[in-house]
Amino acid sequence: MGEWITNSAWLITALPLFSFIIVGLFLRPLNEKLAAGVATASIGLAWLSSLLLASHYFSAEVSAEAQKTLIPWTVEWLKFQEGVTVNFGVLLDPISVMMLVVVTTVSFLVHFYSLSYMHGESGYGRYFTYLNLFTFSMLGLVVAPNIFQTYFFWELVGVSSFLLIGFYYQKPSAVAASKKAFIVTRFADLGFFIGILILGYFGFKISGEIQTGSQPLDYAFLTHPEVLKAFLNLHLANGNSLLALALLLVFMGAAGKSAMFPLHIWLPDAMEGPTPVSALIHAATMVVAGVYLVARLFPVFSTVPDVLTVIAGIGLFTSAFAAIIACTQDDIKRVLAFSTLSQLGYMMFSLGLATMAEPLGYTASMFHLFTHAFFKALLFLGAGSIIHAVHSNDVWEMGGLKKKMPITHITFAMAVLAIAGIWPFSGFFSKDEILATALHGEHYVHFIGGLLVAGLTAFYMARIYFLSFWGKARTEKSSHAHESSWVMLAPLGFLALLSLTTGFIPFAEFVKIGAPLQQEGIDLHVAIPGTLMALLGLSLSAWMYTGTLNVPKKISVALGQFYVAIKNKFYVDEVYSFITHQIIFRFVAAPVAWFDRNVVDGGVNLTGAAMRGWSSALTLIQTGQLQTYLLWFVFGTVTASLLLWGIFLGMV
Amino acid sequence: MLRQIVLLSLFLFSTGLYGILTRRSSVGLFIAIEMMINAAIINFVAFNRFLAPSHIDGQVMGIFAMALAAAEVLVGMAILVMLFRQRKNTDIQSMNSLKH
Amino acid sequence: MSFLSNFEWSQNIFYLLAGAMVFFGFFTVVTKHILRSAIYLMSVLFFSAGIYLLLGADFLAGAQVLIYIGGIIVLLVFAVMLTRSADLAEDHPPLTRKLFGAAGAITFFVVSAYLIEQSPLIIEKSLPSESASIASLGKSFVDIGASGYALPFELISILLLGVLIGGAVIARKEMRTK
Repeated sequence: MGEWITNSAWLITALPLFSFIIVGLFLRPLNEKLAAGVATASIGLAWLSSLLLASHYFSAEVSAEAQKTLIPWTVEWLKFQEGVTVNFGVLLDPISVMMLVVVTTVSFLVHFYSLSYMHGESGYGRYFTYLNLFTFSMLGLVVAPNIFQTYFFWELVGVSSFLLIGFYYQKPSAVAASKKAFIVTRFADLGFFIGILILGYFGFKISGEIQTGSQPLDYAFLTHPEVLKAFLNLHLANGNSLLALALLLVFMGAAGKSAMFPLHIWLPDAMEGPTPVSALIHAATMVVAGVYLVARLFPVFSTVPDVLTVIAGIGLFTSAFAAIIACTQDDIKRVLAFSTLSQLGYMMFSLGLATMAEPLGYTASMFHLFTHAFFKALLFLGAGSIIHAVHSNDVWEMGGLKKKMPITHITFAMAVLAIAGIWPFSGFFSKDEILATALHGEHYVHFIGGLLVAGLTAFYMARIYFLSFWGKARTEKSSHAHESSWVMLAPLGFLALLSLTTGFIPFAEFVKIGAPLQQEGIDLHVAIPGTLMALLGLSLSAWMYTGTLNVPKKISVALGQFYVAIKNKFYVDEVYSFITHQIIFRFVAAPVAWFDRNVVDGGVNLTGAAMRGWSSALTLIQTGQLQTYLLWFVFGTVTASLLLWGIFLGMV
Repeated sequence: MLRQIVLLSLFLFSTGLYGILTRRSSVGLFIAIEMMINAAIINFVAFNRFLAPSHIDGQVMGIFAMALAAAEVLVGMAILVMLFRQRKNTDIQSMNSLKH
Repeated sequence: MSFLSNFEWSQNIFYLLAGAMVFFGFFTVVTKHILRSAIYLMSVLFFSAGIYLLLGADFLAGAQVLIYIGGIIVLLVFAVMLTRSADLAEDHPPLTRKLFGAAGAITFFVVSAYLIEQSPLIIEKSLPSESASIASLGKSFVDIGASGYALPFELISILLLGVLIGGAVIARKEMRTK
């Protein structure tokens, strides 16, 4: 059975595709409930299959004590010429199997949760169709054996994200958010695409010299040591490494998808989509695609340490930046979005600090990706449960939900503890590994920064927890809130269980790269300060946000302009609008538009007018009189024969 | 002598051309066309006689051209009579429906 | 072997015929009366039959007289008579049309004459004594070999049959419509 599922791993990817087609085309118009059921069931099947696959794969791997990269299924897709073929296939290695499990688990739970959450919405069937499309795209991305297939599904997840953010397409803000997400990530993907082209072009040249048995865009080719050596010998005209440029461009795409600092602006707005969508796409799966891509190409990145330094820097900055903003936001989903940004930054900087010789950061990053997916999905689904009950996103309109929604409360609290990094919840283990990476690599800036971010994380997560569950109901709606249905609570419970247990998985045994890890298990030098910071954040938050709630106001007044700046997300959106409206639109787009309207269109209109003039002049010739035509014909024939004769005699 | 014959036929052809270009009556037009066809037949015969006396192909072509001319006049006159019934005239300049 | 081609004064006969053809040909196209025009055309055709005789094409000369003068001219005259009652009694083209027509025709004549003068085909040569016989003309119409014209001949006869029927259908008094 395990062997069979390994060889038929494409089935896991194909299941959501089949159900997407069947549900979208046939069942949705027929019966929306049936459509939703089939969509959920197919993902459930994919989930079971990937669990089976993972258990077989990892048990086999542990026994073999070797890192296996399997390509159990592949077909020729695009054959450009001899030696340049792009295949469609399935690649199984530790991280892709791990991602298969993450994606199918969260996706199934979100599907299940949505059965109740989206109940009664118009477009119920459409929603599940989109979810299936997204799941298919994400699974295809995860198992891609070459960078071109990755790019293909990369865009496909972008499209499904666009569709789902804009699910409430009657709402102008949702439409704007979906466009923003699409355009920002597309802009980043432009860099990714150029990076792929560079890698592909020079990869093809290299493939002529080095026999690797794989195609130029295959990951197997790109990570081949000989190929990397050849790549490192290529330089730009100014002496910079070509590979560094290509990798920076690839990282630009990854940064766009994973919402790293200057390209992060789309993620908070993406919260306009339905909450389960935020849980699936904008917390657990799609946004980690950037991290996943960097991890997938890690052997390549590790050859250019400067690029890794950039990645680590951007990751740390995003992490801190987002954590600070998260402290001031009132919309519960936006707080979670900024916390997602912050945690993604964590994963990125952990990857940036890893090297092939000391690969702890790689494992830590993947571990954090794994644990984060579950507790962040839990947070979002819990928030969805609250929003479903209170009909508001604003934490100041909640309060006192502890008694009314006990199960939501307990699971949410567990998730808060997990993300804050309190033992024995999963976040503690993965965060501990990341901080250990920074400490052992002697990256003290990253270590201190990571600690501070951990404290901030505990603070703002506890803030929304206390504001929504403790104290008294601050609005009419929240006083009448009641617990959600079991269909919504079951995924919460299951995810809470995962948040509690996934930390104990010996992750480093399964997912690793390069040299053997120096030490495993908990490092007290890291665990103690980390836990202290988390406790500090939690207790500060508890002090501020329970009781009279006077302290936060005083603090915000005391901070003055600084607080306003944070509250407005450091005006990054405004900077973007300034750049686009005041600079690009005015100095680039407006002249181009003028040129288009006057020169291009003018040229076309001129041609048209000239043609009209000519034809109206020519209609005078068209008299319908055969004799006139004949006269023209005679003169024409005479002229032509003279010319021909002249040519014949060589006179002209 | 070939030159003189060819020039004669050219004269007949040009005259016919003038007729086609100027005649208003359709019948006059056909008369001019007949003259042009006749000029062509003269050429056929003359070239045959002077350039390939042992062959007969020019004369054969002449016979064919004559038969075609007869056919053309027959159809043309039939159409003319029908048009005349509808329009009550044979003025070629009123037949300008090609314009539309 | 044509009897005329053997006479030494065939040149003079040719010039006589040519002069008459030029004269009548000219008046064919300039006369105002269509009926006269038809008669002038008949003269032109008649004299060209003479030219054929001169060139040794005896059969063609006979066919010319029979088909053209006996058939086509009669048809034209009938057409003139049938359409005459309400039609233009006289053909007066506008002056500009005459001028343009004359310009076109004269240009054509001049250019073609120039080209004829230039042509290598126009050789100075008196009538060759030998010539093909009528028998060979007849044979070529039934010859199905490479140099024969049996197929075109048959096609022409079918064409003529079709034209006869077609002409009758077109000129019928009323078009029957269902």
